[in-house]
Amino acid sequence: MAAFTAPGGTYHHAKHPLFGWFMVVPAIVGLSLFQFLPLGTAIVDSFGAFDPFDQSPTGWGGWSNYAAILDDPIFTSAVINTVAYIVLTLILTIPLALALAVLLDRRLPGTTFARCAIIGALAASEAVTASIWNQMYEPSTGLFNALLNALGFANQPFITGDNQALISIVVMSVWKDVGLPMLIFLAGLQAIPGELRDAAALDGAGGWRTFTRIILPQLRPSLVVAVFMVTINATRIFTPIIIMTQGGPDWATANLTYYAYAQSFEFTSPGTASAAVVCLLALLVIVTAVQIRLLRPAKGG
Amino acid sequence: MSSHDLPGKKSGLADPPSLLNNPSRRSVLGAIAGVGSAVAASALLSVSPLSLRTAAAAAMPGTSKGGYKLDLGGYRGPELATEPVTLRFMRQDYPPELNDLINSVYAKFTAAYPNITIKEERVPYGDLPKKVQVYVASGSAPDIMMGRNDFTLAYHAGKIALPLQDYFTPEYVADIFDNAREAASVDNNLYCVPWETNTVFMYFNRDLFEKAGVATPPEVSDLTKGWSFDEYLDALRRVKSGLATKGVTDVWALAASPYGNGGPGSNYTQMESIWVRAQGDPAAPKGSPGYLTLMGISDDGRKTTGAIDTPEAIQGMKNYQALFKEGLTPTGAVAHQFEAGVAATVFGGINEANLFSLPGGAPAFKWGATPAPRGKLVFNANTSDSPMVWAKAPHPAEAAALLAYMCNDANRIDFHRVWGSMPARKSLTDQIPKYKTDQPYQLAAAVGANSYSAPRTVGYFDYFNVMNPTVKDIALGADPAQRLKAAATRIDALLRKYT
Repeated sequence: MAAFTAPGGTYHHAKHPLFGWFMVVPAIVGLSLFQFLPLGTAIVDSFGAFDPFDQSPTGWGGWSNYAAILDDPIFTSAVINTVAYIVLTLILTIPLALALAVLLDRRLPGTTFARCAIIGALAASEAVTASIWNQMYEPSTGLFNALLNALGFANQPFITGDNQALISIVVMSVWKDVGLPMLIFLAGLQAIPGELRDAAALDGAGGWRTFTRIILPQLRPSLVVAVFMVTINATRIFTPIIIMTQGGPDWATANLTYYAYAQSFEFTSPGTASAAVVCLLALLVIVTAVQIRLLRPAKGG
Repeated sequence: MSSHDLPGKKSGLADPPSLLNNPSRRSVLGAIAGVGSAVAASALLSVSPLSLRTAAAAAMPGTSKGGYKLDLGGYRGPELATEPVTLRFMRQDYPPELNDLINSVYAKFTAAYPNITIKEERVPYGDLPKKVQVYVASGSAPDIMMGRNDFTLAYHAGKIALPLQDYFTPEYVADIFDNAREAASVDNNLYCVPWETNTVFMYFNRDLFEKAGVATPPEVSDLTKGWSFDEYLDALRRVKSGLATKGVTDVWALAASPYGNGGPGSNYTQMESIWVRAQGDPAAPKGSPGYLTLMGISDDGRKTTGAIDTPEAIQGMKNYQALFKEGLTPTGAVAHQFEAGVAATVFGGINEANLFSLPGGAPAFKWGATPAPRGKLVFNANTSDSPMVWAKAPHPAEAAALLAYMCNDANRIDFHRVWGSMPARKSLTDQIPKYKTDQPYQLAAAVGANSYSAPRTVGYFDYFNVMNPTVKDIALGADPAQRLKAAATRIDALLRKYT
């Protein structure tokens, strides 16, 4: 391995042939233990048969677990819900995070407070946040319905209505997690050279034109990272579901993650749970591939 | 021992660079010798005067019933081991005064058997069944786990719980109330020990009824003399409207369910099944809808279609749904509404009455107790928290002995004195005069004596986990017929894995 240069000078520890391995082994071990081993186990288990009482493996199940979940209408609903979580979260989070980042970048009065509040929400425990929002959404005694009543509107079944529960979870999730993509955008904005904006201003470009023609294209790398991170978070959203709705009403808020959990922990079926996890992984690969294609820079651009 | 006299230091263990960088034969042998001497020394040191005293104390014969050193209640297994033993016990968390009481029981046990260490894990009540399942799957479960007799068939079929017949005297087992014992047994072998008796009836706030101008329900212990579901719903409606005319709009006719983790669909076995299974008919011929509605499942424990989606069951769930649709009770979990005086009625057990009778525990209103609403019968499930010994517990006799000690007469009476629930054994209930003299206690005894088993199936865990969200959905407005049919289809599919 070649020597590497640090601010203080050039180091030559790397002359030992095992030095490179020594540096990467912890990462390899960590990834193997906590990423690849569980993934491999899930794939193997998805073809296994299990004792329903102690969940010990009892043999080879072939494709039966996949056949079972594909035959389950709740699985289909969970796939659709997973996609709905991804799409709705992206639609709400990315523009909001970008808007917040632009506002915070202008260093308006109260910027520090706003930044602290947004990062505070991001740092808060997901379980605690979900519990608080659960109380605010509570149909009979919650804050939101009290406010609606005070304004003369009828109670809304935020987390108890088939049509509102999923979006209510998304709103809570966006409120909590918007801080991370916002920070990514903020870093991207602050990396854009001021000369570009100055040049646009000299050319007579207005604020909107500068934003769409200068700022936004410069933010493409940040946008790609933010979209991927939000997508992954939206795909594996779990804590708010289990705390606020337990997948209900009538499985309307159950995504693939919750479906896999329920299969394993509520219905003692590790085989179908693993099959659902593999399907979730496949879905994530497809969604990410589509995003890579859509976000790829145009040829020559 | 301080670090400077570690046995391995002189043999090279304290000099790892020389061993790692230049592993000569001498250094390797030195290291092996160091490890050997360290192990030998630690083994010798483990036989300390304290542990010798412990072993001697453990080996001493006892003078209590059965020749044990403590009153081990119904225990009749071998004398306990003298070598060090660690027992793990997983149970639900209780209020501090009850946790203190249980800790004092452990202290007495370990004082008599100082070689036994007890490690306890407390989990939220609603999470117990899942925790049991996860622990069993892990292959390293606590020796004693707080189970429930709803799941006895699974404990038996899955070889999860130790059969306790060999560890408990027949007299002790016979003393358990018949229906609780049957629920905890398979083929006359006890798999878990009923901890208390589930007695669900209704409390009412006399002041709120009077304010609403509604007659209070009958305060009886004869279950046939309580209100029917129609009378009950009608009374709740009149309480709500009566209070509203007096300007009281922040009071509920029925408090949110305090069972499980609270709210609708939190504990089908104890709470919501009342509305369904009370519509069943104990006199109906086997296989008829009335019979199956009461049983909740086919006799072979494999099919719920035709049992939970009968016209009777649908009517039961329509009644239940009316509570929420008409704003008689909250649609979410809200704790302690009745105790706070903001609900006119609540479903609860006898421990509520006991709580009210404790110094400082009386509520700020007058209260009464009445049977739960009556369909063709007043339904109560004989479900009970029931600790079990894990079938693969490394020290089954010691675990069974600890469990038996916790369940001896004195400890159970102390438990029920603090917690207030009804004992699961006849001889204990006989020692508490209130069960013969006070109406709420007489009502509890009558409810306990007229209880029905949870649906008997090895897959009750699946059943329970489908029914809870189902009744919650119905509470929140789903069509009862459609949801019960879907639930039956789902449960039937889930039960197929047990064939």
